[in-house]
Amino acid sequence: MTELATEPQQVEAVPDRDVSMTVNGRACRVRCEDRHLLVEVLREQLRLKGTHAGCLNGDCGACTVEFDGQPVKSCLVLAAAAEGAEITTLEGVAKGGELDPVQQAFWDNDGFQCGFCVPGQIFATRWLLARDTDPTDEAIREALAGNICRCTGYQTIVESVRAAAAGLRDKRRTT
Amino acid sequence: MIRTALRHHAPTEVAEAVALLDIHADRAAVLAGGTMLVPSLTRGERDLDHVIDLRRLGVDAATVTADSVHIGAMVTYAQLLARSAFPGTAQLLQRVAGAITGGPQIRCQGTICGSAAYANPSSEVPAVLVALDATMHLHGPGGARMIPAAAFFLDAYTVDLRRGELLTGVTVAARAARLGYYKLKLAEGSWPIATAAAVLPPTDGGYGDVGYRGAVVTLGAIGTRPIQLDLAPVLDDDGRLPSDADVDDWVVAQIGETWDDELAPGDYRSMVAGVVLRRALHRAREENR
Repeated sequence: MTELATEPQQVEAVPDRDVSMTVNGRACRVRCEDRHLLVEVLREQLRLKGTHAGCLNGDCGACTVEFDGQPVKSCLVLAAAAEGAEITTLEGVAKGGELDPVQQAFWDNDGFQCGFCVPGQIFATRWLLARDTDPTDEAIREALAGNICRCTGYQTIVESVRAAAAGLRDKRRTT
Repeated sequence: MIRTALRHHAPTEVAEAVALLDIHADRAAVLAGGTMLVPSLTRGERDLDHVIDLRRLGVDAATVTADSVHIGAMVTYAQLLARSAFPGTAQLLQRVAGAITGGPQIRCQGTICGSAAYANPSSEVPAVLVALDATMHLHGPGGARMIPAAAFFLDAYTVDLRRGELLTGVTVAARAARLGYYKLKLAEGSWPIATAAAVLPPTDGGYGDVGYRGAVVTLGAIGTRPIQLDLAPVLDDDGRLPSDADVDDWVVAQIGETWDDELAPGDYRSMVAGVVLRRALHRAREENR
């Protein structure tokens, strides 16, 4: 009769650390493992479920957040690398209970659809319109190229961006 | 979720990064933008114990002078695009940065140096750096060394980085040459199947529309490493190219081992190599009249 091994297998302890960052304007500290992705920490520890976990491969864009003012796919970022970073998630876009003009344009033009790809679409749009106040459809589609809409409803998303650009231009003219 | 007991290091000195890489050797990798390394860890394709993050190393600046551009290892594509037009042939870096697939998110995360060190044959960066005669800045346990890009790319996913070495930056000369670039890909979100960067002398030397004297073309995504071709052997006394078919045959004979991936087999890449070369040459002449 063969005896089963009784020695427990040695498993290396997974290191963890405290990571301090500012999320949606609020300073916070989370304890996470070095192997944790930023999207995992945002969703599971900070309970910010507006950041969606899709492909975890950098393709779909559903996990997009603003990281020090730039749109990034948070599945491509280790949470440990976010030490000291300023992060805005989808929950931090609306101010004072009012939708951001880009969000409002998506709402008005049926750009949200099922909502899964919204983080990437919204943050990519904000990035585009901060640099180009009157983008062509080609520029809009290029700016959205890092986001996959599983509803395949790209046309209303492009229309939403066009409307957001027009709304922001109007707002600038009147203020 | 990454399943290995990964440790994240963010050294502030190059010597510290080198020491970590030297100690942990093949159990460690350098983390720049993370667009390739992090998902490969998530997918379980890479089994590492340590990542050496360069974000606190102070290599995040692009320095532009009249005759060169130096790009630190953490400079993203978006940083390149935010600058005014680079001088001379260095502008090709911005053209490539603007065409990186994956939208603004990837351009805000990915880096030229990260792509170079990863050395995916289908990536645009290796062949562009070879075309621009870039100098790669390496630091390792033996100190600093600089090597030309053509010597850096050894094979698919293989570069001349020794134990403990890391790429800290790349310098590109801004030559006053005529430049033409052509990329063949199937869709906006696709990696290229073939690229060609043609560099011609700044003037046509009196040969007008027919001459390609002095032309050098670098092909990317066709072989396992960039292929640089001096066209002199195939030009006639007036600097003219032979027939398209003869050009294509000559190019195929120079290629060596072709690159196969899910986008296209090697024999297809061979078939289009001459076409992309000729189109890049045409653009070099037509876009610089």
